[in-house]
Amino acid sequence: MKWLEKYKVDLPNLNKESDYPEWAISMTSTLLNRTGSWRTFRPVYENKTPPCSYRCPVHEKIPIYCDYLKRGMIKEAYFTIIENNPFPAITGRVCYHPCELECNRKDYDETLSIHNIERYIGDWGLKQVSVKELRKQSAEKSKGSQQKLKIAIIGSGPAGMTAAFYLACEGHTVTVYERQAKLGGLLRYGIPAYRLPKKILDNEINRLKLLGVNFQTGVSLGKDITLSMLKEKFDYVIIAYGAHKNRALGVPGDDAIGVLSGLEFLAQVNSGRKPKLGKRVLIIGGGNTAIDAARVALRLKRKPVILYRRSRNEMPANPQEVSDCEKEGIKIEFLVAPVKVVTNKKGKVVGLEVVKMKLGKPDASGRRAPVPIPNSNYIINCDTIITAIGEQVDLSIIPDELEKTSWGIAAGEDGQTNLDRVYAIGDCVSGPKTVTEAIAMGRKAAMNIMNKNDVQVFSPYIVKISDLNLSYFSHQPQTKAKELSLSARKGSFKEIHLGFSENESIKEAERCFSCGVCNKCDNCYVFCPDLAVIRDNYEYEIDYDFCKGCGVCAYECPRKAITMIEDSQIIEDNSKE
Amino acid sequence: MNIKMESRNFTIPEKEYMFPGHVACPGCGGALAMRLVLKALGEKTIVVIPACCWTIIDGPFPMHSLHVPVYHTAFETAAVAASGIKAALEIQGKKDITVLAWAGDGGTLDIGIQSLSGVAERNDDIIYACYDNEAYMNTGIQRSSATPKGAWTTTTPVGNPKGEPKKNISEIMISHRIPYVATATLAYPDDLINKFRKAQQIKGTKFIHIFAPCPTGWKMAPELMITICRLAVLTNIFPLYECENGVKYTINIVPEKPIPVREYLKLQGRFSHLQEKDIEQIQKTVDFEFNLLLKKAQLIV
Repeated sequence: MKWLEKYKVDLPNLNKESDYPEWAISMTSTLLNRTGSWRTFRPVYENKTPPCSYRCPVHEKIPIYCDYLKRGMIKEAYFTIIENNPFPAITGRVCYHPCELECNRKDYDETLSIHNIERYIGDWGLKQVSVKELRKQSAEKSKGSQQKLKIAIIGSGPAGMTAAFYLACEGHTVTVYERQAKLGGLLRYGIPAYRLPKKILDNEINRLKLLGVNFQTGVSLGKDITLSMLKEKFDYVIIAYGAHKNRALGVPGDDAIGVLSGLEFLAQVNSGRKPKLGKRVLIIGGGNTAIDAARVALRLKRKPVILYRRSRNEMPANPQEVSDCEKEGIKIEFLVAPVKVVTNKKGKVVGLEVVKMKLGKPDASGRRAPVPIPNSNYIINCDTIITAIGEQVDLSIIPDELEKTSWGIAAGEDGQTNLDRVYAIGDCVSGPKTVTEAIAMGRKAAMNIMNKNDVQVFSPYIVKISDLNLSYFSHQPQTKAKELSLSARKGSFKEIHLGFSENESIKEAERCFSCGVCNKCDNCYVFCPDLAVIRDNYEYEIDYDFCKGCGVCAYECPRKAITMIEDSQIIEDNSKE
Repeated sequence: MNIKMESRNFTIPEKEYMFPGHVACPGCGGALAMRLVLKALGEKTIVVIPACCWTIIDGPFPMHSLHVPVYHTAFETAAVAASGIKAALEIQGKKDITVLAWAGDGGTLDIGIQSLSGVAERNDDIIYACYDNEAYMNTGIQRSSATPKGAWTTTTPVGNPKGEPKKNISEIMISHRIPYVATATLAYPDDLINKFRKAQQIKGTKFIHIFAPCPTGWKMAPELMITICRLAVLTNIFPLYECENGVKYTINIVPEKPIPVREYLKLQGRFSHLQEKDIEQIQKTVDFEFNLLLKKAQLIV
C-alpha cells in the first residue's frame, strides 16, 4: 500500500502566534513533502527477455521455471513449461538446446544446463500431473466457454502431437491419422532409443489418449483419406506429415543392393526389425541422421565409418552429438565425396569409389563449398552404404489444391494454407528442422484455430551480460549429469544421458542469472534511501509520490528488471490518454 | 501463493521506522544508513542529532521523518547529550531504551571529538554512530578531517587538493578501549544490521563508523551509491572490521583479490584531477594500512 493511502497527513494549523509550540518541536511528518516532484527519471518494473527464451523456438520462460524449481514449487515449474511446450520430457532429451548457446552465464563461468533441468521437470510432470489437472489448468487460462470444434490432424509427429495436445486440453475433438503402425512419427522412427527411450514417448502418447485424442494408425493421406473428405467431416484440418523422403546419392550405382537410406534404416531398427547389414558399413553425410545411423550401426556390432565431403566446421550435425559419436569410437572421414558405388556381378555393393575434396569459396548456405581434387580417387571396401545426405518433403502426396513451395507446403507463420480451414505445420512446411521448431509450429496453429494469442517473449529488449550487475553472483561450475559408461553402451540401446536428480536440478537452477526477469531478490527494496519501494506480499511497487529518481534500484538490480524512463515522457503520454 | 524467500539477497527486518518525504538528496547514503540502523535497533530508541546533514534531512519545522524521538543538539555535543539522556532514563528506571548519537564526520572527527572522547573515557552506555560522507556536505562541501588525501572540496580546490590523509577515527576510538568499535557500510546491509544489534546488547560506549557516500559532494552519479560502498570495501579503502575491548580485531570481509583503487577513484568527480602517480601513492597507502589491519587481526590476546 502506498504511503499516502496508509497515512493521512495534514499541515498543522499555524495561523496565529499562539498556535506555535513553546519550543521547536515537530508536529507532523515529512509525508507532507511530495519529494517525487524532484524527479527527472522514474524507475519502472519491466521484465525483459532473457537470451535463452528469445533463442528457444517455443520461447520457454526458462528463468521463471528455474525460480519455481529452486523454491520447491515443481508443479508450478511444470505448468510454466507446459504453457509453451507440452513435452518437456521429450525436448529435455532430444532438443539441441540452442538456449544454452545463448546463456549469459557462458561468459561468466559455464552455461546453465537448461536441458537437464527441463528434462527433470518434464519427467516429474509426466509421472505426477494428472490429465484432470492439465484440463483444469487450461480451463483456468481460457476464460469463457468456446464452441467445441472437430479437428483432424494428419501425422502424429511432434508438430501434430503438440497441436493435438493444446486442442484436446481445451476439450475440442481431435482425431490424429498416422500412416505408420505406431504413433510418434519422427520421435519414434527417426530418433534412436539411446537418445529418447520409447517408454517416455509411449507415456506422452498415452496421456494424449487420456486427454481424449482419437488416434487412427495405418491411414495414409491420398490413399485412405483425402483432404476434401476430411474437410467435409471436420471443422479444421492440420497437415503435419513431416519430411521423410531420403535424398538419393545421385552417383552411378546408388540403387545397388546394400545401399540403404538413413531414415529408412533408422525406422527399421526403431520398429524392432533387423535390417541386413554387412560387416563394413559406410555412412555418407554430415547431419544428425548420419550421426544417428552410425551410432545405431555401432550398437548392432558393426564398424561404421562416416564420410563427409566438407570439414568439421561445416557439419550441420549438433557438435555435442558429433563429439559423443567420436567418443564411442566412430571414425569420421572429412573432405571425401562419393563418385561411384562399386558392385559385384550380382549387383551387390563391394566398395565405394571416392574423391578427395578441398574447401573453396562460400556457397549459398554460407559454408565453404567442397571442390574435388582431380585424380585423387580411391576405393573404400565396404558391404553396406547408408546414405544420409538430407531429407526432403514428399511433394507427390501434397493434395493438388494446396499451394506449394519448392520444398514443401506453403503456409503462413500461424500455419494457415491457401485453403480455408486447412493448416500445415512441421517439417512438411519448413523442410527438415528440429523437434522443438515443429512443436512451436504445432502450438501456433492450435492457438490460431482457438483464436488465442500465441506465447510471447517478455519484451523486445534482449538482456546482454553487460546489462547485469554481476556483484551479486558467484562463480560456480555447471552441474554435470551422469552418463552411461562407454563400455555399457556397447551393443545396447540403453539411454546414454541419465539426467539430473532432484538435488542436482535444484542446484543447477540456482545458478540461473534470471536475466531480465524479477525474481524478488529484494535489492531494490533494501537499497532505496527514500522508502519509495513498497514491498507488499512479495510484490514490489514504486511510490511515485516520494521516489526521487536516484536510480539506485535500477543500478543495483542484478538482472535489469527495472528501467529508468525520462519522466516528462510519461507525463506527455498520460495527457494523450 | 506461498513463496519461499530463498532468492532474497538480504534478510533485513520488515518494519520501517522512517517516513519518506525526508529532504536528503537523491541517492543519499546517510538517509539509507538511518533507515537500516533503525530497522536494527527498533522502536525503543532515542536519536540525538547534532548539526549535520541529518539535521536537515529530518525535515524543517514542523515536520519530522522518524518514528522515534529525535533530540537536535549543538554541533559539538552529540555524545554528551546522548549520555545525559541515557542517565536521565536510568534514573527513571527505563532500562530498555537505546540511545543513539548520530553525527556526521564533521561532528565526530573535528568538532565533536572532545565530548566523544569524554563519553568514551567514562564508558557511558550509548551507541555512537558516525555516518561518514567525508566532508561538511550540507554547508557546501567543505573539507573535514575525514576527507581523504587528494580529494576535491570547495575549500580544497583542484589546484590545491587536500594534502593530509584521512583521520582514522576508528583507531582513535579503539585506543579508548571501549567495549565495541565497528565499521559498516551500505552495500552490506546484513553486516550493518548485525553490528548495531550486537552493539545494542553490549553495555558501555559503542562506536560504529558508517561509510555513507554523498553523490552530490563526491560529484558522482546517484545510482552508484551502493556500488561505491561495495568498491570501498573490495579495494580495502574502507575495510569492514570490528574490535572488542580495544584489542580483539575481527575483519569481516577480506577480499580474495582486492580491486585496484583506480576503479573506486575513477567513478568520482572529486578525484578526477588525480595523476597516475597520485593514484599509485593512494594504492600504496591503502595496501599498507590493510596489511597493518591484517596484522592486528592476527594478534592473539
